[in-house]
This record gives sequence, C-alpha cells and structure tokens, in this order.
Amino acid sequence: MVVEKGKKTINRLKSMYPLRAKVNETYLKSVEAIQAGKPAVWGMLNFYYGDPILKAMDIEVVYPENYGAIAAATGVAQQYLDRADAEGFPTHLCGYSLTTLGYASRMMKELNGQIPPEAPFGGMPKPLFLMSSAAICDARYKWFQALGRYMDAPVWPLEAPIPGIKEFFIEGYYDRMVKLGVKHLRDFVAFVEGMVGKKMDWDKLDKTANLMIEVNRVWHEVNELRKARPCPMHSRDFWSAMPAALFLAGDLEDSLRLYQDMYKEVKDRVNNHAGTILEEKYRLVFAELPPWHSLAFFDKLAERGWNFVIESVGYHPPIPIDLSKVSDPLERITKFSLQFLVGYYEDARKQDVLGGTTAYPYLKYAREWKCDGALLHPLISCRSASTHLPYVSDMLMEKLKVPSLSIEGDIVDLRLFNPEDALAKAEPFEETMEHYRKMRKQAGDDW
Amino acid sequence: MYFAGVDIGSTMTKVVLMDNSGNLLSAIKGPTGPEYRQLANEVMRQALEQASLQIDDISYIVATGYGRLNVPFADRQITELSCHARGVSSLFPNVRTAIDIGGQDAKCMKIDNGRLTSFVMNDKCAAGTGRFLEVTAATLGIRLEDMGDISLKATKKIQISNLCTIFAQQEVVALLSRGEKLENILAGLHDALASRIAALARRLGIKPDLVLTGGVAKNTGMVRAMKESLDCEIFVPEEPLLTGALGAAILAKETYMKAVAAGEALPTKSRRLEKATFFS
Repeated sequence: MVVEKGKKTINRLKSMYPLRAKVNETYLKSVEAIQAGKPAVWGMLNFYYGDPILKAMDIEVVYPENYGAIAAATGVAQQYLDRADAEGFPTHLCGYSLTTLGYASRMMKELNGQIPPEAPFGGMPKPLFLMSSAAICDARYKWFQALGRYMDAPVWPLEAPIPGIKEFFIEGYYDRMVKLGVKHLRDFVAFVEGMVGKKMDWDKLDKTANLMIEVNRVWHEVNELRKARPCPMHSRDFWSAMPAALFLAGDLEDSLRLYQDMYKEVKDRVNNHAGTILEEKYRLVFAELPPWHSLAFFDKLAERGWNFVIESVGYHPPIPIDLSKVSDPLERITKFSLQFLVGYYEDARKQDVLGGTTAYPYLKYAREWKCDGALLHPLISCRSASTHLPYVSDMLMEKLKVPSLSIEGDIVDLRLFNPEDALAKAEPFEETMEHYRKMRKQAGDDW
Repeated sequence: MYFAGVDIGSTMTKVVLMDNSGNLLSAIKGPTGPEYRQLANEVMRQALEQASLQIDDISYIVATGYGRLNVPFADRQITELSCHARGVSSLFPNVRTAIDIGGQDAKCMKIDNGRLTSFVMNDKCAAGTGRFLEVTAATLGIRLEDMGDISLKATKKIQISNLCTIFAQQEVVALLSRGEKLENILAGLHDALASRIAALARRLGIKPDLVLTGGVAKNTGMVRAMKESLDCEIFVPEEPLLTGALGAAILAKETYMKAVAAGEALPTKSRRLEKATFFS
C-alpha cells in the first residue's frame, strides 16, 4: 500500500505531471506562434495520421476535442454550451462540438477574432486552416465545416476507411487501404505546403514519424505494467498523461524521455507491490470517454476500493508493430495509423466477435488486466463512443462473466451527469461483481 | 429477538418488524412527505405499537431506500436493490427477475437464489416511474389509486407519443379536449410507461418467474400493460410496497444471527426514536 489513510485516495504518479503540462505548453505555443506570424492549426483527433506531417512542418496544432475536455474540466464549458444553444445548434449535438462552436462564436462574433479572456490555457488562436478526421468520430464533416465558417478558414478532412472484421480479411484489402492512405497523405502534404508556403522537409518527417512510433511504443509498455496486482497506475493518470502520445503534444524527444521516466516509476511500483489506491478491492475497465467535468467522481469510487486499471480504447496507443523496414515515411505513418484501427482484428476474428476497433479490445482488456467489472459511460451526445457499449456489455458477460454498470452522462455537459445517482449504483454493483467473481472462480478462471 | 427493516423511499416510508423465526410482527407504511427522511421515527413508532414492542427490544435494524443514511437508529444501511432482491425472494423463491417501480425510479433486477446478480435502473427521467402516473392523475383530476381500474374499461388504447412527463401531460390535456375517453387515454398512458420499463428490463434478459413490486404494482392497469409488453406471467405480492423493508428486516436478522453464531458483538446505534437532523 502506498497511500496512507487521510491522504489523497489516488496516489498519482509523479512522472505524470510533466506529461500533463505538455497540454498547457501546446496551447501557449500555438498562441505564441500566431503572435509571431507563424501558422497554427485546429485539428481533430486523427490517430497519428495527419499530426506528424504538421509537426514536421513546424505547425502548432490545437485540438477542439481536447479543448472541449479542458473547458469542461476547468468549469468554463457551460458558457460556451449556452452560447452554442443561443446560436441555434441543437443541444443533443456532440458536447465537444457545442463547446467549441460556442467558443468560436464568442471569439469571432463578439471579440472580433480575439481569444476570449476567460479561455483556459491561453485559448485557441484563429487557425490558418482546420484538419478534420474520419477516424472514429462521425461528427467530422459538419462540426469542422461549421468551425471553418466561423473562422473563415479552409478545412481539410483526413479520410480513414474503417472496415469490419470480415471485410478486412478480403484478400488485398489491407494493401489497398495502405495505398489509399499514402495517396491521401501526399495530397495533404501538398495542401499544407500551399497553405504555409514552404516545402516539406522529408528527413524531418522521417525522424518525426520514428519518434512518434517510439513514444507510443513506450507508452504501450507503461500500460502493460498495469496488469500487475495491485495496479500501479489509475485511469486518472492515464488520461492526464496521454496527450503527448495521442496528440503528439509538445516536443517529441522530450515526450519520449518523460514516458521512459513514467515507465521506470510504474515499474518501480510493480516491483514494490505498490498500488495506486489504498486498497484494491475491485479492478475495473472504463469505457469510453470520461466525464471530464467530474473526474473527482473516480476518487469517490477509489475510496470504495475501485481501481480503474485500463480504459478508453480510443485513447490507447496501437499495439506495437515493426515498421523499421518501411522506407517511405508516409507509408510508415499510414501503417502506424492503420494499426490503431485494425491492430486487434486478427485476435477478434479468432475470438469470433465483432467490433475489432472499439468493442473487442475491451474483451482483451478485461481478460488480461483481470477486471472484476466494467463501468460504461454512454454519452447522450456521442454516437461513436456509445453505440458499441451494449455489445461490449453482452460480450464481457457472455465470454468472461464480467458484469457492466452503465452510467449515462456527457463529456462536457455537467447537466447530463448525476454523480450521486452513479454512486448510489456503485454499492449494489459491488454485490454483482462479487457474485461473478465467485462464478469465474468456480469455472476455473484465476480472477 | 426482534429485527427491523426500514425502507425510506421518495414517496413512502415502510417498516417491517420480524422475530428470529422470520414471523412478521408488523408492517407499516406512511407517506414520506415533504419532511422527507425525518419521519422514520414516526413510522417506526407505529410499527412498534402494532407489535407491542419497545425500540430497545429490537436487536438489529437495517435501513434501506433513498433516505437510508438518515435513520439515526439504524445499525446498518444496505442498498434498496439488495433489500428488494432478498424481500422478493422470500415471497417468491423461484423469482429470477424483479421489477420495482417506485415514485422516483424503476429498478430491474436479476436474482439468483435470493442474491442480486445484475440490475438496470432508469436514468434521470421521471418518464419510467410512478411520478409519471402521479403527475398525470393530478392533471386529470382523478385519484392515483383509481387510475388502473378506470383504464381496464378502455375500448381502445390511445397512443401517447411523448415520453417526457411534462409533454405527456400536455398531450393528455389535448386528447381530452379532443373528446377522447378518459379510460382510453389511461390505457394508452399505461402502455407507454410499460413499454419503456419493459425495454429497460429486456436489457437484463428476462427470466421467469417475474415479480412486479413497488407502488405502481398496485395499479391493475399497469400490471396488465406490463404483462402485454413483456408477454409473460407476472406475479405481484399481496403488499408490493413492502418488499424492500421486508428484505431489510431479513438481512438484519441474517447479519445478527451470523454474528451471534461467530461469537461476535455487532455495534449498534442508540435506540432513541429521534428525528434525523441535517444541520447539527
């Protein structure tokens, strides 16, 4: 045990803080870039596809999705949600999109392009262009088109085909995906070159791609260590530390060093049997996007002995693959990005389950991280993070006898999440987890 | 030895007293009322009076329901889901699915040998709860307890398309002004509520025997609508409001007897029947 009674319930990793600070750094750098006459871009989470290209072109990128989470976590999202409402956007749209549409409206209509003074982390400056992405999120076109209209800036949509498991194994499918991806990235490079008025430094892109892959490999290894019992790292640390790998926030060489530091700290905890919470009674997997406005909710659950040992597949790095022999950096980037989308497919096919990108991984997580239960967070305003959850719940029960608790809420809108109601369900769910723990043991499982 | 279960729901407070053989000595229910959670002492006093017992005679007390944390004389708090599961199982040993529709929520429970193994509850909205019927009864100017019997006289069911309680009220008023018969509107309302709760229950996977409890189970129209929606036989306890308190009393007895058998002394609270205070 590493946490003393009366101290904070979750013993946060020291190595997490400098990684978390990368987010602030990114936003400040983007504002500084605009002030210095350099380009800044608004990007969607694109799973390593467009980011390395922008990074190699020295373009600062900020992420409206991430900014929606920041606005929620810092308590300023509501005024942007209200503003989006007043602009006429339906309230059931994605919480991230509403927050940033409200932000864009305030910035462009009320402040004549100036960053709102209340904006956390220095705000998002007016972008040179916007880069949306087809990976996972189905709001990609309309949300960024609307933002582009407010900002009077062009929008480049990055395309990413996401096949089903059976389709993926049609002969030649993967190669055609790679070919399409590389061609699309070449067009994107040409677009970016035209926007910033300079040519791509291909050696720099090569180095950037390799660093991105290595950063994510180390980050993957950190999360593998969390299979230890007691688990040495809580989901709250994961969410805090992920942007440097997921969004490539900050300097990549520095991020690599910081993730290596984190690996050492987590490994040290494993060696010393040091858990991240006082008493790990239940190990849980969390899906999908957390209620950013109410993260303290997890501290309450930690007090009950709930340790969140694995989470949000969409935020996890791809399973490492060897791409060292792929000489073209665009092909390497494409294959790495595709690995995020299809990296679990072979396994999922063997298990005869569906949902290789977003559903199956939870089966693997629950089995390998030895989870007693799953906390599912279907979002009222997000289809992409919600529609697979009933299937996840059924699959976990059918294949592993791991029960799920579903708590509806929202990523940004505090009004749609009721932590008291959620906590009231925690106690009976413990009884459910105990019941299935006995059943698994009777069936010969080791957890 | 005597044991008590106290269930403080959003609408009703219930107390069950039993002896160490499991014989029911008294079962009392009273409105929780606006003094919500402060009146457990009053309902307990009535229950003791009915059983000719004093509060000091009670060996162990379990509180459950939304107000369970505000019963100063309760020795232990247990969630209403666990208590309902135990209470229903004691009345219907073959129960596998229980649906409790109370004033504030609807709970669907999967039960195995008296143990809660899984559950789902409605989220944040009054549309799947007894409140939906309360509000509608008030809008229509009829007594809540008459709604079910009136609806059984329906010659057809009027479809209620709004699931939101407030909008459904408006729809009901509009239907009345259009000349639709009250019984037909009520049959439609029960149908709307039943199909919503049935969808919730199906998430669990319904297995017989299925038992319906909670205040709404006293509504004959709702019981019929639930049977039609779920297409299965539904059992209703004689007193469907008391299963939570009954389960709490059973768990009080079990907890106490287990401790006695192990030679352990259980900590108990002061047996003074006082109001709960929130600001001291």
